Amino acid sequence: MIHSSGNGMMSSSAASSSVGNSQSPGLKTYFKTPEGRYKLHFEKTHPAGLLHYAHGKAVTQVTLAQLKEKPAQLPPTPTGSSSAGGVRSAAARLLGGGNGSRALSFVGGNGASKAVAGSSRIGSMGVSSSSGSALCSNYDGKGTFLIFNVGDTVFISDFNSQDKDPIKSIHFSNSNPVCHAFDADAKDGHDLLIGLNSGDVYSVSLRQQLQDVGKKLVGAQHYNRDGSVNSSRCTSVAWVLEGDGAFVVTHADGNLYVYEKGKDGTGDSSFPVIKDQTQFSVAHARSSKSNPVSRWHICQGSINSISFSADGAYIATVGRDGYLRVFDYSKEQLICGVKSYYGALLCCAWSMDGKYILTGGEDDLVQVWSMDERKVVAWGEGHNSWVSGVSFDPFWSSPTSEGDVESVMYRFGSVGQDTQLLLWDLVMDELVVPLRRPSGGSPTFSTGSQSAHWDTLTPVGTLQPAPSMRDVPKLSPLVAHRVHNEPLSDLIFTQESVLTACREGHIKIWMRPAHCENQSSSSENVLSNSLKEKPLLSSKVGSYKQ
Amino acid sequence: MGAAGSKLEKALGDQFPEGERYFGLENFGNTCYCNSVLQALYFCVPFREQLLQYYTSTKSPSDADENLLTCLADLFSQICSQKKKTGVIAPKRFVQRVKKENELFRSYMHQLNFERNNLRVSHVQDAHEFLNFLLNELVEILEKESRAIKSSPETSSSEKSVNGPINGLANGTKIEPLVTWVHKNFQGILTNETRCLRCETVTARDETFLDLSLDIEQNSSITSCLKNFSSTETLNARTNFSVTSVAGFVLSHLSNLQEAQKRMKIKKPPHILVIHLKRFKYIEQLSRYKKLSYRVVFPLELKLSNTMEDADSEYTLFAVVVHVGSGPNHGHYVSLVKSHNHWLFFDDENVEMVDESAMQTFFGSSQEYTSNTDHGYILFYESVSTIGTS
Repeated sequence: MIHSSGNGMMSSSAASSSVGNSQSPGLKTYFKTPEGRYKLHFEKTHPAGLLHYAHGKAVTQVTLAQLKEKPAQLPPTPTGSSSAGGVRSAAARLLGGGNGSRALSFVGGNGASKAVAGSSRIGSMGVSSSSGSALCSNYDGKGTFLIFNVGDTVFISDFNSQDKDPIKSIHFSNSNPVCHAFDADAKDGHDLLIGLNSGDVYSVSLRQQLQDVGKKLVGAQHYNRDGSVNSSRCTSVAWVLEGDGAFVVTHADGNLYVYEKGKDGTGDSSFPVIKDQTQFSVAHARSSKSNPVSRWHICQGSINSISFSADGAYIATVGRDGYLRVFDYSKEQLICGVKSYYGALLCCAWSMDGKYILTGGEDDLVQVWSMDERKVVAWGEGHNSWVSGVSFDPFWSSPTSEGDVESVMYRFGSVGQDTQLLLWDLVMDELVVPLRRPSGGSPTFSTGSQSAHWDTLTPVGTLQPAPSMRDVPKLSPLVAHRVHNEPLSDLIFTQESVLTACREGHIKIWMRPAHCENQSSSSENVLSNSLKEKPLLSSKVGSYKQ
Repeated sequence: MGAAGSKLEKALGDQFPEGERYFGLENFGNTCYCNSVLQALYFCVPFREQLLQYYTSTKSPSDADENLLTCLADLFSQICSQKKKTGVIAPKRFVQRVKKENELFRSYMHQLNFERNNLRVSHVQDAHEFLNFLLNELVEILEKESRAIKSSPETSSSEKSVNGPINGLANGTKIEPLVTWVHKNFQGILTNETRCLRCETVTARDETFLDLSLDIEQNSSITSCLKNFSSTETLNARTNFSVTSVAGFVLSHLSNLQEAQKRMKIKKPPHILVIHLKRFKYIEQLSRYKKLSYRVVFPLELKLSNTMEDADSEYTLFAVVVHVGSGPNHGHYVSLVKSHNHWLFFDDENVEMVDESAMQTFFGSSQEYTSNTDHGYILFYESVSTIGTS
């Protein structure tokens, strides 16, 4: 049974969406939350009049990439453990925030200090465009960039510039790029992964792409060439945390592959026939020379999204069959899982402490799964269509969380095909959750003990059926805001802002309340006027120089 | 014709389901509305099986009185008894019968949709109107036959054949209004609750339905449309007239500008849930119908949670009738049908295999003007609990 506040939510948002049906959409440039206004700061998009034939074929995904200074200019980097505690905790929060690859890609730029090895790899592979790099050789290579795919193109925009247009476009002639991931700590220069509709995957150096003036991918390593290993669509790519260049690629046929960066797959890269499509199975490459090195058959039908836990120990997958599955990555073992209320799941994300996983999908619900309790602890009702992006806000600090572990509040967001961004608060005390066990006292995620203690609850690898409507507490959103005219596809939280992307490749950057106040009060003016005014944020890192 | 068939056979290869037939239907000039619905019904397996069983059990004596039911049964048995696995069939007798009844059809539609006032002069028939007409017609024929049998003295055993061979529900024959096998497949019960806000009187009235017609919104889902359908609606004085007429009761003070709340609940979910998206909207200013190309996503699995029953009833999508075209007065109908875990695309004579992911091309558009004009129009969901038993 749906509680009354949920119904109220539905009707009010229904009213707002019917307003949008009129010709002039009247999208607001701000939305209110208890902590203040979020204001539209920048918009990013692809050049106008482009790619209408590609409508609906490739859904825009966004990767946030922070390029550090050139390795040569860096002082010898200390190891992660020797850096200040504050830095480490910040890194941990950052890591937990986003969905897998995005979170991983963001952390490097924000103080996680892994040594970056020289980019000798690029040279050895033969850079295809020497003229391009010569032209931009004075490029300082620092900055934060938005990488997003539209149609047959990957666009790169400067995150901190108010320029709407991208600074770089990379065309793919054979197939559409559909997913990407960035690792700021990547060794040997290749830090960007791009997965294609054809199943092909590339790893490249982002810096090298920015230095090149052409419209083609340069210095790329090509994996699964022409779908030789798997010809079904790539659905997501992600770097393995501290995986020494290992990355995973998921496909529309329910398989996940582990690759090693820079390794030419010269060995036999065939895998045994999957005996039971419905069962999880792992196969390792027959030859040590082959790439991919292993194949995980996860489910029947597409794997739609994956997310690594903050510590990289666990990987969550969601797919067409509606199941959320959680695996121990190094043990290659299924830990637990649950079926959606109904329909496919489309997105997933871990909380920063690894205790909760959000999923969203075709039942219009935002689902909160508790790793400790091994059950669905809440369903968020508020979207009027499928939920296409979920993320915890890793920068949210609860006003009541001081020293009180039991009432830790989480802030998370979701975007849907109803064009809405919803923000939610999760306060465990408010949810009726029977049989709560005392938690370990520390909110930090501890791999060994946690895992052992999970095992006592349910047998490892048990997939739970869909809960019934009556049994799951409901959440109502804090804020519901219509963001675009098109269905939304992605959501990222950064320290200063919230990013929303729609399927057609329009991105909006919403400044958090604190940051709105810190800046001049003119941000609304900036928006209402042309976006081509003088830069507002001269103090920001990484203004792009050509 | 042979080439198209063999192409599909090649595509299916050794996965071609045992005993299944995939036949296109010839178009006799604007009969695609008919063809698309026929394919959806043919691949509604419990319906097909019960129709064929009915056909074999009542074939012999009254061959002379041809009606829509016998024509449909004849067509289905013709398809499933084909030697070839694929090909094209001309549903000639059936379409002729439909055309014969066409006058009746039109006047029937006239009664049903009093607001439409026969404004449509188009020759393209509406697939939903046709489905509705067909199912009601079948029910009427079955009821007539049942009455005929009842009136003759030696009956009680043959009554069962009228009600269909699957009488899993023991009380099926005992319910006062006759429950035919058409009802058993498609009929659900809605409860229309109206609460007067002054006297708190709640009046509930049950209505049966063979399909649900849902209002649609831009960028929404079927789940959301269903929620809106059953959500509480406050009626003010201006709409009280329709309350009283729809719900069929009158509280004496309702005429005195009082408010009332109305909600629809699904009391008994049907085995086959047919959802009709109201994509054709009458625009008063224009005095004509306009097609809404809204993007309405439909999941392959669905649950009805806001029902009166305890358990959430679970459904799986098995057919979609798609309207192709930018307006109601011109266009085309095709259908997507799931059979033995493969999705097939039926466009009159042509039958192709399609990937499940092709479904998203029929959701509609977020933009007002769009080149994509293929939109899901009627959705057929089958209850999961009945799939194994049939």
